[in-house]
Parts: sequence; structure tokens; C-alpha cells
Amino acid sequence: MVRELLKHLLKRPATLKYPFEKKPPFKGFRGRPIWDMKLCTGCELCYKVCPSEAIEMIGKGLEAEFKHHLDRCLFCGQCEEVCPVNAITMTEEYELASYDRAGMIIEFKREEKASEKPIPIR
Amino acid sequence: MVPEGIVAFLEILLFPGFLFFIALAFFYEWVDRKFFAKLQNRYGPLYTGPSGLLQPFADFIKLLSKEDITPKAADKFMFSCAPIFMLSFPLLALFLVPVTGLTAPISFEGDLIFLMFLFTLIAVTIFIAGWSSVNRFSTVGGVRAAFQMLGYEIPMTLVMVGPAIAARTLSISQIVGWQSHNAAWFIWLQPIGFAIFVLCLLAELEFIPFDIPEAETEIVAGWSTEFSGRKLALIRLGKDVELVLAASLITSLFLGGPNSSLSILAIGFFLLKTTLAVVLLTTLRALFARFRVDQMIGGAWKYLLPLAILQVILVQLGLGR
Amino acid sequence: MSYPTIRIPFGPQHPFHIEPEYFMFEVDGERVVGVKPRIGYVHRGIEKALEDRTFIQNLYLIERICGICSHAHTTCYTQAIEEILGAEIPPRARFIRTIIAELERIHNHYLWLGLAAHEIGFDTLFMYSWRDREIVMDLLELVSGNRVHYAMNTIGGVRRDITPEIVEKIRKGLDALEERMRYYKKIAMTEPTISKRTAGIGILKPKDAIALCAVGPTLRASGIKRDVRADDPYIAYDEIPFNVITYDGCDVISRLFVRCDEVFESVNIIRYAMHHLPEGKIRIKVPKRVPEGEAVSRVEAPRGELIHYAKTNGTTKPERYKARSPTLGNIPSLCKMLVGGYIADIPIVIAGIDPCFSCTDRMAFVNVNNNKQWILSGEELRRYAIKWYRKE
Repeated sequence: MVRELLKHLLKRPATLKYPFEKKPPFKGFRGRPIWDMKLCTGCELCYKVCPSEAIEMIGKGLEAEFKHHLDRCLFCGQCEEVCPVNAITMTEEYELASYDRAGMIIEFKREEKASEKPIPIR
Repeated sequence: MVPEGIVAFLEILLFPGFLFFIALAFFYEWVDRKFFAKLQNRYGPLYTGPSGLLQPFADFIKLLSKEDITPKAADKFMFSCAPIFMLSFPLLALFLVPVTGLTAPISFEGDLIFLMFLFTLIAVTIFIAGWSSVNRFSTVGGVRAAFQMLGYEIPMTLVMVGPAIAARTLSISQIVGWQSHNAAWFIWLQPIGFAIFVLCLLAELEFIPFDIPEAETEIVAGWSTEFSGRKLALIRLGKDVELVLAASLITSLFLGGPNSSLSILAIGFFLLKTTLAVVLLTTLRALFARFRVDQMIGGAWKYLLPLAILQVILVQLGLGR
Repeated sequence: MSYPTIRIPFGPQHPFHIEPEYFMFEVDGERVVGVKPRIGYVHRGIEKALEDRTFIQNLYLIERICGICSHAHTTCYTQAIEEILGAEIPPRARFIRTIIAELERIHNHYLWLGLAAHEIGFDTLFMYSWRDREIVMDLLELVSGNRVHYAMNTIGGVRRDITPEIVEKIRKGLDALEERMRYYKKIAMTEPTISKRTAGIGILKPKDAIALCAVGPTLRASGIKRDVRADDPYIAYDEIPFNVITYDGCDVISRLFVRCDEVFESVNIIRYAMHHLPEGKIRIKVPKRVPEGEAVSRVEAPRGELIHYAKTNGTTKPERYKARSPTLGNIPSLCKMLVGGYIADIPIVIAGIDPCFSCTDRMAFVNVNNNKQWILSGEELRRYAIKWYRKE
């Protein structure tokens, strides 16, 4: 045991100095889901399957818009799986903290460019 | 001409006095934490000050600003006195250790015995601190501290006497003088004594493997459970000063102390040797698991005490002078 | 003559507890002479919540019963529902479920090693083993997309496939994990401070273990060869050869050795499974409405035997669901182990059964209402539950 201890004097510590050093997540990491509003048909399947009611839909059909509650989301990926037109993608973003509830609601609106409200960075 | 009284007063206050020892206490806590972390493959304090040097100081300041609660059932007088004693006894003992030369600010024949007395008082203070905060965990912690004292007290006293017998004096300053005069350090003259001394110091400082009175996973924080705010700040500072005391005792009694009478060299040697002693104590801390109190006392009486007696006999027979 | 014994409460908040539970110890000096546990602090109403959600949504709720045995819970759930449906999942799915289950077992045992080391004050081993746990967590993140709560299972199979690149990375990770565990087992065998704190502590004699219905490594460390993977094979365990590890010591250090050896067995199982991974689909389509029926399914979670009971009535939501976790089965044995020991042994003995109180707390409420003789430790637990309920 002593040898192992002394070996560590020469090794670099195993800690990552977050936030200065970050380890990128692996491909396929279940981060924040995003909706591609150009493909969405408003079928409401994602809304019905979400286990924690994190998806809120406003409107119906081809005019439906989304509010995604990050504070309720489990990041389970069930919405991505069930969407029939592959409009939902799980990105690899995991730094999702915010100082108030308003920053945890992401809106996906239908505009020409199908832009989304960016996450407020502190 | 500055009157001598003022010089002495400044010496006691600043250097080598309270401020110096307190600064040293913070520094050695940093060394301890950083080295402990390095052995465990992680960083220690990192961001406060260069490489985290100011972290112990920052912790102290933070604790001073927190709320200081005294439990309703506690014995108020003893509860308030215990942290003050925890800080003042080691600080007083530190004046007996030579730092800037071959004599300490306070040195008289028999100050080694005075030092042992102060160690006992510290242990009694811990017990009083645990007893006066009327809380099950504190009681168990205080009782365990008293138990532990039963274990390490006698071997430690015996091995401290080893160098005293060899140097024919009961004054720490004279022991240091003997070592530098004869160019021989007691670490190789009395190695058994050195090993036992280090182990007993681990028990006295409540370091793993002997941090039984304060076992976090068993009894919350042991005897210091109920202390918070300023009192806890003083207790923690007292523990750090105890670490300085332990390291400087190892230096003075076994490693030759400040080896010259030149001020600058003396301080340099002193700091170097005490830092090495702290590193040794930290390595031992990282190496072991915690003992149970009955195993500790059993081990102390079955192994440490006979070895200590053996060491003293060896010294009397001439081996180690 | 009876001495007044001091009563020391442990919990619900205590620095050593990862989860809240309450033990009232009666101590005489340093010896424990009596213990009264009281569980229920993490009762979250999960079983009732399960009745309100569809089967797919329940997957994620069941997963969150426990953070570390999450895959075991979902495996148990999907097995129960698949049995009611009469669905047969494809062989590739069974093998992938096995691989994830064994990776989870390795994860759990590394975590336990660190916690047990922390309980006995050995912080260095704690830091080392949790550093090595990062290897297995990275592997799990690679396979499933998340470090805990893998969400790999679905009713009818698994949701993600394992590609050959992932297989390669898992192989490398397994080599590292096996080598580190060999080193830790060597430390446990040779380091005197560890054996002084764990050998001969927390004795549970074999006939007590059977009478009090202990499960998992706690039982196997008393020499009893019982393991759901061998007795009642599920997923791919009937096709993969492995050994059931038992030790005869009946104390905490035997439990440590059982878990170390189980890591080696898990590594071998994963290697065999990856080598023999069958081709084919990874899931089949199942209907949303599950016909009426009931099923009991058993799984060997990392902590012991996990039992789920499901009752359906032809709708899209279950009618009644019950999850009995291994820690609950171990609590009566725990009480037996603690009496007669020292206070200083309490943390390591409690940690020795690898408690997961988040898994546990669903029992006390339901038992009194149903008055069912639950198949494990029924009498003992019913008494505790009734006493607890009466105190409220």
C-alpha cells in the first residue's frame, strides 16, 4: 500500500478542474432534447408519452408550438423514440442550470426559420 | 534604545510568538491537506490564494462569521472555556520549543515535564468539552478521548524521557543543544523511541488511525459536535497549533532542532524539519484505517508500552547516548 | 441488576448515512444491547403513482426507485409485464440486458467498497475505488447515454444496441477494472487495519441467515449458496456459465470478499456475453393494452434478491404493483448482527449489508392494510410495521 501511495506523488491528480477543464460527453449522451419545428406535424405523441409532463403543447396540428420544461424533464429519450417524423433530437448539452424557473422553460415556435429561444447563460 | 520589556512583548506577540505560530498553524494545515490529497490522487485546496495556501485562513474567517449557538442544557462556563483552553495550551507549550536558535523563549530545567503536563491538560480539556456539551455524541466522544489518553500517555512520556536521559537534562532547549553539540540526532540513536513517539503523537493529535474521539462516520463530530461559529474556529485553530507543536517536538527531540545559533539558519532548519515531520504524519494518516478504541488501548498497552520500556532500558545501558 | 443503558439514536440525519433511516441503539458503555429500527423515511408513494401512469411511463418511474440498482428494477418490471403479455424478447436483447446488469453490479460493488472503506475511516481506499468507479460509469455512459438511470430496457427488449466499437471499449475497461479489483482484494487480505475492523464483526450464523431470510451477498457470506441467477435463471443467465460465490466467514470481511469475487465473475460473464452476442433485433413491438393477469418476477440485483409483483386489468395502466427490495429482506438480519457488537462497529455492519433505503421504503405502509404474509421475514416485519403504525 505504501508503494501505491508514493506512486501517486508523481502522478497527475485524477480530478478535472471543472469548469476550466471539461470532459466532452460521449456520442449518444442523452442531453437536452430539441424540436425541429420544420418536421413537426403536431401529432401529440411526445406530449402523451412523457413520464413527467415536461412537454407542453400550445395549439394543434401543424400550428402546434412547444414549451419544454427542463426542470421536469427526465432526459429519458422516450419523446425522441416515439416521434414518427424524427423531429426530436437529444443533444449533448448538459450544462442547463439557471437562476430562476423562467430560464428552465425552452420555447419552440414555428417561424420561417424555426428558431428556438436560447438558454440564458449566466 | 527600545526598552527590553517592549522587545520581549513584541517577541511574544509577533515573532516567534503568537502571530508566527498561528501563521505556521495555517501553513501546516495547508501542507497536511495538500499532501493528503496528493497521496489520494486528487488536488487539495486549489483556488484560494496561490495553490490554495489561504484556504485554512479562509475557513477560519468563515467560521468566525457564523452563528455561535450554545445548547440550552450545556454547562455554559465550561462550554465557553474549553475552546479557549484548546488554543492556549498548545500555544503556551510552543514557547518551550527553540525556534530562532538553540534556546527557546521560555526554558528552564524541567520544562519537558511541564510540556507533558500541558499534553495531559489538553486531553482533559477535550474531555471537558465533550462532557459540558450535553449531547450523547459529545459524551461518547469525550469519553473516548479520555480512554485514548490512557493508552498513549505513558508510552509517550517514556520515550520523551529517552533523549532526556541521554542528554542528562530535562530541558528541551538543552536537549537541542546536546544534539547540535554532539552532531548526533536522536532519530538514529533511539529509533524505537522515535517510532513510538510518532505513533503516540498520531493518537494525541487525533489523526487516523487514532481519530477515534472524532470519528465522523460513527458519532457525528465526536466531542466537538455542539461547537459552532467562533468556538469552533478556536477549536480548529487549536488543533492546528497542536499539529505545529507535535511537529516541532519531533524536530527538537529527535531531529536536532534548529541546528545553529544563527537566527536565519536556525529558522530555516526549523521550518524544514517541521515540514518533514508534518509530511510524515500526513503519510501515516493516509495509510491506515481507523482503529476501534478497545483495539487501540489494547495495542498501546501490549505493544507500545513494552517497547518504550525497552527503549529506556537500552538508553540506560548506554546504547543511544 | 440492570444498568441504565444509554440510548443513542442514529439518524434519520447522520453524516454516515447516505439515506435517512432511524435506528435507536441501547448501549451499555460501548456495547450495543438492543436495536430498534424504524424505516419509512424515503417513502415516496411510488406504488400508488405507478397505478396512474401508462406502462411506458412507469418504466422511468420504476427506474428511479433506486439510483444504483435502476437497471435491476426495470429488468424486473419488464419481465413481469412481458410475462403477462406472453411476449418473448429476442436473444440479442436478453444478452444486452445481461451485459448492462453485470456492468451495474460492478458499479455497485466498487461504490460499496469505497463506502465501506469510508465507514472504517480508510479515506485513501475510498478515494481510489471511487476514482476507478469512473471507468465503469464511463462505459455505462457510452452504452446507454447516461451515467446512472440507464433507461436501456423497454417492454419487449432494449432501446439501444451495442456496436462493435463499444464492445472494444468495454473490453479495455473490463481489463482495467479487473486489475484494480485484484489490487483492492489484495489490500483487503493483507492490510491489518482493515481486517481488525471487519474480521469477526457482524456475525450472522447460517441458520439465522435462513431463518431471518437474508438475501444477496449477506446470505452468501454465511456459506449459503443462493442466487436468483442460478436458481431461477432469467434473461441470459441460463446460457452463460458462471459461479455462485460463497464464503464461510459469516462476517463483514467475508461479505467484502464475496463482492470482490462477484466483480470477477461479472467481468467473465460480460466477456462471454460479448463474445457470444447473437445477431438480430433488439426489441419487439408490444401492444399498449396489457391483458388481465398477474405476474411475479425475481431478479438478482447487486444487493440481493429483488421481487416485483404486477397485476393488470386490460387497460393501459397497471392495477396494482409491488416492489420488494433486497435491503428490506436484510433488515431483520441486520438487527441480529448489531446486538452484541460495539458502537464503533455499527457503521461498518450496516454498510456491510449494502443498504439502499431508497429501495426499501415501501413496506411499512402497505403491509398493515393488506395483512399479507409477505414471503420473506413476514412475521418480524409485520410486527415492526404494526408497532410503527401504532406509534403515529
